[in-house]
Amino acid sequence: MMQVTQSRPLIVDRLTKTYPGGVRAVRGISFEVAEGEIFGLLGPNGAGKTTTLGVLTTLVRPSGGRALVAGLDVMDEPLAVRRAMGVVFQDSVLDNDFSGLANMRLHARLWRVPEGRIAPLLDTVGLTGRAHDGVRTYSGGMKRRLEIARALLGRPRILVLDEPTLGLDPIVRSELWQMIRALQAGQGVTVLVSTHYLEEAQGVCDRVAIIDQGKIIALDTPSRLIADLGQHVLEVGVGADPAPVLAMLRPAPPGLGEPMRTGSTVSVPSSLPAPELTGLAGRLDLTTAGATTISIRPATLNDVFLHLTSAARARTGVLA
Amino acid sequence: MTAASGFAALYRRRLSVSLSQPAALAGQILTPVLWVLVVGPALNRAFGGFTHQVDYTSYVSLGQIVFILPFSAMFAGLTTLFDRDFGIMRELLVAPIHRAVIPLANTAVVLTVAAGQFAIIVGLALARGAHFATTPARLLTALAAAALLSAGVYGLAEFLVYTIKKPQAFGTIIAVIGATPYVLCGAIYPIAVLPAAVKWLTWALPWTHTVALLRYGLMSDTAAGLHQIWPGDLSLTGAALLSLAVVAAFAALTQTAAHRAFTRTTLK
Repeated sequence: MMQVTQSRPLIVDRLTKTYPGGVRAVRGISFEVAEGEIFGLLGPNGAGKTTTLGVLTTLVRPSGGRALVAGLDVMDEPLAVRRAMGVVFQDSVLDNDFSGLANMRLHARLWRVPEGRIAPLLDTVGLTGRAHDGVRTYSGGMKRRLEIARALLGRPRILVLDEPTLGLDPIVRSELWQMIRALQAGQGVTVLVSTHYLEEAQGVCDRVAIIDQGKIIALDTPSRLIADLGQHVLEVGVGADPAPVLAMLRPAPPGLGEPMRTGSTVSVPSSLPAPELTGLAGRLDLTTAGATTISIRPATLNDVFLHLTSAARARTGVLA
Repeated sequence: MTAASGFAALYRRRLSVSLSQPAALAGQILTPVLWVLVVGPALNRAFGGFTHQVDYTSYVSLGQIVFILPFSAMFAGLTTLFDRDFGIMRELLVAPIHRAVIPLANTAVVLTVAAGQFAIIVGLALARGAHFATTPARLLTALAAAALLSAGVYGLAEFLVYTIKKPQAFGTIIAVIGATPYVLCGAIYPIAVLPAAVKWLTWALPWTHTVALLRYGLMSDTAAGLHQIWPGDLSLTGAALLSLAVVAAFAALTQTAAHRAFTRTTLK
């Protein structure tokens, strides 16, 4: 059993959720989030991320285990839990017929915070000039910024962001992450974020948990997870038949990890430094096995994610 | 956070949603105006001669209340549907308020709009020459009946919103529930003229009891029609109380069902 630390803003302990009909969305996950940390929940669609966030935000009733937010059990004290957190949902949850200011005012009334807090927050997210405009006229990025400002209005101890950059263009996504980082640093809020954009999670999150099929399959800092996989990835372009290349890489030569095929690419993690890996790739003579391209690049969280989730699926017999 | 403060914020927001849009505001006000000034007189010319004991202008204007108020209540379900599927519902669900306050605030706004429409219908009917006679107790009975019917129909609308998965289906139901009972309940003509089999159906409709109570509250005993529902040997007060109980039971039933459906769908 996890040793729970009451002072932690978020504690999830052996949490399970089985929906009516028998779908087991979450299967005994445990993690803690430290004060002021940005913690990422990563996983493929249907992994259990949204259900986990649902339990923490009191929208989903857990089937087993427990979840504590700011030391409060989500089942026993849901109102106090909701007061302790701000939530930004995956899709826009705004009153589109009203202005940005009106949306903020409603939140202020519901959370019973002074409306004087609205103006500085709108200024922080760059919406002061559009505060009186209807939300319907806002761009996707502006709506997101408004929702983040709104979520921070009640001075939450924990900010929950469910896929905050989904559907936004790369520039807006980058700006949004910078803003979240700055707000987190400025307000000292703890952030729990789920995202599909792993390269963004790598740059923003202090620690991440990778969830697959309702279970946590890895939990650490992005840099340590990458180091565990290997600092580099050997990427081999293959034609219609990847079998000869895969046969050459199995069993894995010393210094190489398990090869994984994604489309027309076979990627192999490696703990070797780049020059040694280049030499090894040359000695393997992969072109004779049909390799069309060979490249070496630094490993990313995306590689960690792909290798761990494909390995987990291989173990359980689920094809990726 | 007290339940009352959450209620006030939600009430204010929902009232703004109902009244801030010019089209919505026009619909809420112009519909009763149109019915009282145009449809009512037309019905008077068509059916007004069915009895010399009753002033048909007064009779049909009260009948219009059981069309306008329930129809508005059903339409209010669309706002709830929009909030659930495309709007702000999840923001409200993660607010530090008792969630039961959300449907209560919605119902309160429906009742507020209903009160305004009731006043418009009665006021315009008086301007058109209708004659109403009442006592404080009878007026209270009429107002209670109208409020309970509105709350009951809105409860039904909310129950359907949280039960029906497809928004398109709700649009069809609005027309069925909004219009059919009005035609059958004795709003335009006495239910005594209906075939016996249909009469049984009308007696089960809260609309029928409400329109009878409105006439009991605001018109003469003859016009009430309560004795077309209940046995003739029952006192008029007794019949009014029984009809009020039917409408209250309807409101309690649909509001309870709505609350359960809301809880079931919002806490998975």
